[in-house]
Amino acid sequence: MNSSTPVNPWPLTGRLDGRLLYARSRGLPLALLVLACLALATAWGAAGPASFLDFERRVPVIAAAPLLAAAVIGTSLHEHSAELDRTAARPWWLWRLVQIGALTALAAAALALAVPGRADLFGAAAMVRATLGATGIAAASATVLGARLSWLPGSAYIGAVYLRTPLRPGGAAEWWAWPMQPGPQDAAWTVAAVLFAGGTALYALRGAKAEPT
Amino acid sequence: MPLPPRPHISLSALTVHHRKTLALDALTLDFERGVHGLLGPNGAGKTSLIRVLATVAPATAGRVEVLGHDLADRRALPAVRRRLGYLPQDFGFYPGFTVREFVAYVAWLKELSRETTGAAVERALERVGLGDRADARMKTLSGGMLRRAGIAQALVNEPDVLLLDEPTAGLDPEQRVEFRELLRDVGRDAAVLVSTHLVEDVAAACTEVTLLAEGRVAYRGTTEQLAALGADPAEAGDHPIERGYTAALRHHRATAPSAAGVTR
Repeated sequence: MNSSTPVNPWPLTGRLDGRLLYARSRGLPLALLVLACLALATAWGAAGPASFLDFERRVPVIAAAPLLAAAVIGTSLHEHSAELDRTAARPWWLWRLVQIGALTALAAAALALAVPGRADLFGAAAMVRATLGATGIAAASATVLGARLSWLPGSAYIGAVYLRTPLRPGGAAEWWAWPMQPGPQDAAWTVAAVLFAGGTALYALRGAKAEPT
Repeated sequence: MPLPPRPHISLSALTVHHRKTLALDALTLDFERGVHGLLGPNGAGKTSLIRVLATVAPATAGRVEVLGHDLADRRALPAVRRRLGYLPQDFGFYPGFTVREFVAYVAWLKELSRETTGAAVERALERVGLGDRADARMKTLSGGMLRRAGIAQALVNEPDVLLLDEPTAGLDPEQRVEFRELLRDVGRDAAVLVSTHLVEDVAAACTEVTLLAEGRVAYRGTTEQLAALGADPAEAGDHPIERGYTAALRHHRATAPSAAGVTR
């Protein structure tokens, strides 16, 4: 070791790395753990013998799993120190986009893999689409209501759609019952994509509504 | 001939509305290097002013310059924020953080380099006397220690502008004496704005006092000048500066046209 090299008496240990502190401040380790458990539970729920004989038996799984994933992602948007965070020199929009984009990609991929068999019949496609749409609603709700209640509007809407969706897919229901469409319906994909893009953009620009700690 | 140095903070007709309530009414003020006390009754606009300067709340009208940057120019905000320290009345924190992690998180927000963060965090903690509690969890701290951790995060980037909203709430008398010394130390190089109800803190630590009432400047002068206003012992208050505060406020209310803090 070169004796002339100045020694930093306070080396920045891994625990003080800013990116790691950011991840912890948003509860991301717990969120990842819950998403992993959710994917396992979804795989268990979607792989029963009845689900292979009658794919429509997967509908409850297709409705519930993306909703729960969106709830996990939405609550991770909570800022414990919102007032201080707003004085950051860092471009928050970028960090917010990375956080919500990475969590959504992970959740969509894990849940898609958890539903084996035909992708177009309440399979991977419907799972990805519902995850995108539900996360978009959660992101927008976090901006308007706060992250802690971000799960509520999506749950209310998708719960209502689950109870009232027509037996036959397609038609006008492709638009309003997009979470319950079996797979390739274009209108359902359009709605989910718009919800995800709009919700994510709103959250990236404004952040979650400040809430009492 | 060189231009005179710009003030650290310059306000021109700064107006802030909260919905229909006028919080700040066309304030025009400069703050140079030094420790400035911001006094005033509840609802006078102190916190509104601090939040605008901290870049967390927008001005409704008027111009705000901090360190030569116009805060209306969003591209200038990162440069200002790097050189700004801010202690809100209620700062939240992730409860799982230790004191050191909390201060390091704010250092990261301020874009301190990885090379300097460790030393900056230790120095900030030492300055507020929390060096021995650096590994304690934030959620286990007493009110006074939490306040000191809040002051440490505000100091971690060695700010040129330091904004403190009720910084001594929860501090015991000995800690307040040490804090005033710290303020004087920081004020040698930075503009420090201290919003407080505790006039004795202002008397001990501040070089200049601005008294706000109903969103306007009710009085501005040195601490000595405010204390001189309270020379009459018949005025309410136990301390000359308390009496000066009361006298200045009453004079403002008697002479200023009915104004803000009210719905318009």
